[in-house]
Parts: sequence; structure tokens; C-alpha cells
Amino acid sequence: MARIELKDVSHSFEIAEGKEKLEWAVKDMNIVWEDGTANALLGPSGCGKTTMLNIISGLLTPSKGKVYIDGKDVTELSARERHIAQVFQFPVIYDSMNVYNNLSFPLVNMNFPKSKIKEKVMKIAEILGLIDYLEASTSKLNSAEKQKVCLGRGIVRDDTVGILLDEPLTVIDPKMRGELRRQLKIIQRELNITAIYVTHDQREALTFADKVAVAKDGRLVQIGSPHELYSNPVSPFIGYFIGSPGMNILDAKLNGSTLSLNGFKIELSKDITDKIEIKNSECQLGIRPEEIITSKERTTETIPIKVAVIENMGSYKILTLIKKNGSNRDLSIKTRIDINMSVSKGDIVYLKFPEKYLKIFKDNHKIY
Amino acid sequence: MGIRIKNVNKSFGKHLVLDDVSLEIKDGGFVSFLAPTGAGKTTLLRIIAGLERPDKGQGKVFYNGVDVTDIPVRERNIAMVYQDFINYPSMTVYENIASPLKVSKNKMSAKEIDKKVREIAELLSLSHLFKHYPSETSGGQQQRIAIARALVKDTKYIFLDEPLANLDYKLREELRGQLKETFSYNKKGIIIYATADPLDALILSSHVGYLNEGKILQYDILEKVYNYPQYVEVASYFSNPTMNFLEANLVKENDDYFIKITNDLKIKINNTLKDKLNKKEYLLGIRAQAIKPNRQTKKDIIIKGIIELAEVVGSDTELHFKYKDFRLLALSQKIESYRIGNTIDIFIDPSKFYIFDKDTRRLVYRMEGEK
Repeated sequence: MARIELKDVSHSFEIAEGKEKLEWAVKDMNIVWEDGTANALLGPSGCGKTTMLNIISGLLTPSKGKVYIDGKDVTELSARERHIAQVFQFPVIYDSMNVYNNLSFPLVNMNFPKSKIKEKVMKIAEILGLIDYLEASTSKLNSAEKQKVCLGRGIVRDDTVGILLDEPLTVIDPKMRGELRRQLKIIQRELNITAIYVTHDQREALTFADKVAVAKDGRLVQIGSPHELYSNPVSPFIGYFIGSPGMNILDAKLNGSTLSLNGFKIELSKDITDKIEIKNSECQLGIRPEEIITSKERTTETIPIKVAVIENMGSYKILTLIKKNGSNRDLSIKTRIDINMSVSKGDIVYLKFPEKYLKIFKDNHKIY
Repeated sequence: MGIRIKNVNKSFGKHLVLDDVSLEIKDGGFVSFLAPTGAGKTTLLRIIAGLERPDKGQGKVFYNGVDVTDIPVRERNIAMVYQDFINYPSMTVYENIASPLKVSKNKMSAKEIDKKVREIAELLSLSHLFKHYPSETSGGQQQRIAIARALVKDTKYIFLDEPLANLDYKLREELRGQLKETFSYNKKGIIIYATADPLDALILSSHVGYLNEGKILQYDILEKVYNYPQYVEVASYFSNPTMNFLEANLVKENDDYFIKITNDLKIKINNTLKDKLNKKEYLLGIRAQAIKPNRQTKKDIIIKGIIELAEVVGSDTELHFKYKDFRLLALSQKIESYRIGNTIDIFIDPSKFYIFDKDTRRLVYRMEGEK
């Protein structure tokens, strides 16, 4: 397996079409996927995921920039020459062959000796839990097993440098999804494959990967561990996109050490104000629902606000709190409270924003 | 007053989809039909709406005490929202929302229609999209347009068939909260919502009916179904994530009685409970929320678990682990990473166990007691 790298990669489909005005499907991508690691590329539809995938696999040559595998420039190499295996949304298998022949197909094509082929196929089948199905016709398999055959065929060759998984659970029956999600993760660990899992689904990305790259509008927004994305988002988009419910992003105004939001004021300590370069400006305050302290008792420095919606999640409740603000935008905040705290719609609750959790954003970037 | 169905059977070919279903729903409820795919919830909803007819025989549907079994759907004054976002592609968002009012028998003036459309659109945050066509809007917005069309006519009965199923997680989360708020304005009628998602049922409903193989296994107010699931099937499905189950035996050690799963995992039982237990084998159920990688109460039972997978779901981590021969699920209410194969301490709150009869699969006792 190998280290895969994108360096200053940009791509515009308009260049090939000879257009003057360019739109960038992917812009200024710099990412390194280290050897043997589990990675994900996460983003909403239209974020450039598929374009990046095709650039990595070699189906597409980027307009600008380079692709490296173990330091070697492969930008001009074809998909065949790159030896990156791919698992697609829909299982692509040879229906006329049984599982064994599907798995051995790449090796037969390389003229491997029969005994060697058998040894390799058995090893892969063992890891994938396909041992009992080797003689079975692939038409007898369920979608999850078919997807495992695809994966097996991709990694059976020794010269495979990595694997791209393109929304591999899309067509899998929901009941089997959990199990396959687990197996994919275990297989990656066991074989130390450099894997890149492409998806719009946070659950799949954050579960599979140790390092997740989040893209939006063709640009890389943040790359980090699931915990880093959750606890230290670099932009309001990441704060909201990761976590459920997402981070509260509240319009605010900073005046010296006072942060005003819709009639409420929060005094910031010197620790924070020292680190912020902007003194008087519009900004956004970010705080997660589970980080806000919600109480029914009024104490000093709490914010009174009315309960609009109560969602019982089984082990906790999510409150949507709204303060009307005349003709301006209402202030709407979500908080997570203990299941045993009793509240009714229309009640007033009191909020405290612990300073250690506050994030401050300006122009879509974190400034604190 | 409300909706009543009586002895409804429905088969497609040889396949019996609904098996003698009877149910009474009172006005003023938000009812979820919760079930996995194929249990018959959509068919039941369609029969209540009049989109399907019960099999010939004694099956009847009543609205406000009136037999509507033979009344076609277009004469019933109901509204239906489907899983796929069905809108008129050649009409703008405004025209889509206004359309049910324009074809309605009781003619409304253009001014009245306009007022109504704006009101509903405001409720569902669609006002800024009036001039757009459905294809120019997102999936979540398309479904909100369909819901607005259902709400605009002021019908008493609204039926929704998995309206959030085709949306991704962020949109689902947003629209679910919005639905909750929107439907809180409809207190006189009945909303029936078919869903496979336990979280939808938990958040939105006043009442829940759990369907299993064409029968309603349990129907009650939300809190009853969630806190006192009468069958293993209900408990297992109506938990988010799914409930853990462990086989256990009633044993006597010295002078004390225990429900024993393993030597390390056993619960001492008092005399009141002892009287309720007259069998040897039981099935213990416990929700993942009561199993954590850190201490919850002083009485926690601590076991060693081998991590099999840590799944990040929303802002939680679902921890799949192995304990002896059991595969169990714990929940940590933060995003954390764990190494697969590591052994860690797991804390179980013994007061959160449900005891089910292993043969009949019925609930025998809830350790937490009455609420």
C-alpha cells in the first residue's frame, strides 16, 4: 500500500469545452493520505467529491496540479497504471462467474500460477467472511456480500496501492448496512490498506475514518479527526454540518469585550479578547447545543428565552428556544437537556454559555 | 370522534399484509405507525386514507362514526404526503401550494387564497421561494412544498407516508423539528405518520402503534409504548439505537435470588419481583443509553468489553463491544475515538433493565418501576 497525495490540484470542466469563463469543480486541493490509513472525503452533493475521486483514480487529469503515489508523479498515468482499486455505489461483479472466479479474476489476468492464486483468494475470502460462498453464483448473493466481492477483487492484487470507496453503502439494505460498515472498518485495519471513503453521510465518514476531509463548493474546508472536526470547527459550516443537532451559529456584534446578540450581552474575559484582533465588528458566535447550560432557575448572567419546540430523543431532549426580535431576525437557539428535566412549550428557561466552549467566527472563519 | 378501523384484512395475491387490524384513534392525536419495512404500515395508512380497500368481508373504516369504506379518496377531504416529493413541476412553488384551494369545491376568493398560502409558506419557511419551480429547490424544500399543499386545505385528517425517508441526515433533523412545530397548530384533527425511524416516532407523536407482521402489537400513548414496550419486538425496534438483549436465568445463591446473565453480571431481586418470576429463563433488555464507557451511578455493574466498532452518530458515539459471547451496544454522548480490539471498562446501570419472558416474549417487569 502507499501514500497518496494531491498537490495544488484544481479542475475546471470548462477548459476542455474551450469556454473563457471558468467554474472550478475542484480548487486548490492539497491533501496527503498517509500509507495504511483510513480516510474519508465528506461533503454535501455538489462539493466536488466525485471529481476528486476521478482525479485520484486516474479517470480524470486535473487542469492544474499533481497527483503523487509514494512520491512518484502519476498525474499523467491512466487509471490502469495507477493500481488504485475502486468500489462503486452499485456492486460491479461478473454475474456469470462464481465468487471464487470473481475474486481470482485480476490474478488470472496477470498469469499468476494457480496455486498462488488459490492461496491469495482464500486469504481474502477468509478476511471478508466469504469462505462459505466461494462456489456460489454471485446472483445468489445479497447486496452486502456483492459489495464485499467487489472489495475483495480490488485488494487481491499485491500491487494495489489503495482503495477508493465511493458511497459503498448506498444500495445496501438498511438492516445490513451496520454490519458492512463494521466489516469495512475491520478489513481496513487488518490489511492496512490506504483507504479513501467518499460520502455525503457524516455517520459513515466519521465512523470509518481516522482522518476526515470535509469539502464544500470544490474547496477543502477542514481536515482532521472526527473529534477535531466536532470540537474545533474552522468555520460555521463545519460546526453545523458535524454533530446533531449542529452547532448554534448566532449573529453577534463585538464591542470591545462585549458580545451582543439580539438584546443579550455576554462579557468576554481578557483571555479571549487578547486573542481576537478585531475589536468592533459583526461576527458569529458558535456553541453546541450540548455545551449550553439550560436551567429553570434565573441566576446572574443567564439569558432568559422561551421554549418553542421540545424534541424527546429518548435519552435526552432537544429544545428549540426562540426570542422574537421585532422586525429583525429572531434569535433561535437549540440546547440539549436531561431527559428528566420537565419543561413545557412556552416556558422561560435560562441559558449560560460556558466560556470555554465559545467559538467566534467572522467572514466564515474561526477567529477564536 | 375520530378514526376507527374494524377487522381490516388486506392481502396482495396470497400474501396477507394486514391481519384483522382494529384500532380507534381519537381526534387531536399525532399517531405514528412504526414498523420495519414490509410490516404493513403503508398499506394500513392507505386503507385509512381510502387509497386501498380492505379485503372483501367485514373490514370497515369509519370517520367520525360514519362508514367511509366505500367512499372514494377524492370525496373524503383528506390530505396525503408521500415518501417521494410529489409536486407539479410546471407550477411555481406559490402555485403548487395554492393548487388545492383552487380546485376546492368551496370557492375561495383570490385574496383569501393568497392569505392562506402565505400563512402556510411562512410556517414552513418557503416564502422566499414563491417564484421558483420545485426542480430549482432542494430535496428538503421539495418535501416542505408537498407538506404545505397538504396543510393548506384545512383538512381534518392528514396522512404522511415516510415523508423524511429520502432526505439526508441534516435535512431530516431540520425538517423533523419543523414538522413538530407545524403540526402543533393542528390540534383538532388527526395526523397519521407511517415511519420506519424510531426517532421520528419518538419526537413527533402523541401516540404510537407498532406493527409486526400485519398486526398492531402495541398501541398507546407515546410514553407508554416507549417506557413499557409490551413485547421484545417493540422494545427492540422502538429504541434508538436498538435495545440490547441478554439471556438470563433465575437462580438462588445462598438465600438470595438473582437474575443471572454471567457470574459478573447478575441482578439481585427483591421479594416483590421474585413473586412475579415463576420461570427459569428470561430475556433481559437494556437500552444502549444505560450502558456507558464511564460511571453513571454508584450501583453500576462494571464489565470488561472488547471494542468492535465505534460509530459516530450525530453528536454521540455508539460503541459496539463484545462481552463474553454477547455483542452489545453502549452509548457515549460525545464524539470519541476508540481502538478496535482494545478492552475497556463498561458501566451498566442495573436499574434500567427490562425483564421479558423468553417464551412469550412479553414484558414481565421494568426495573425502574412505575413512572
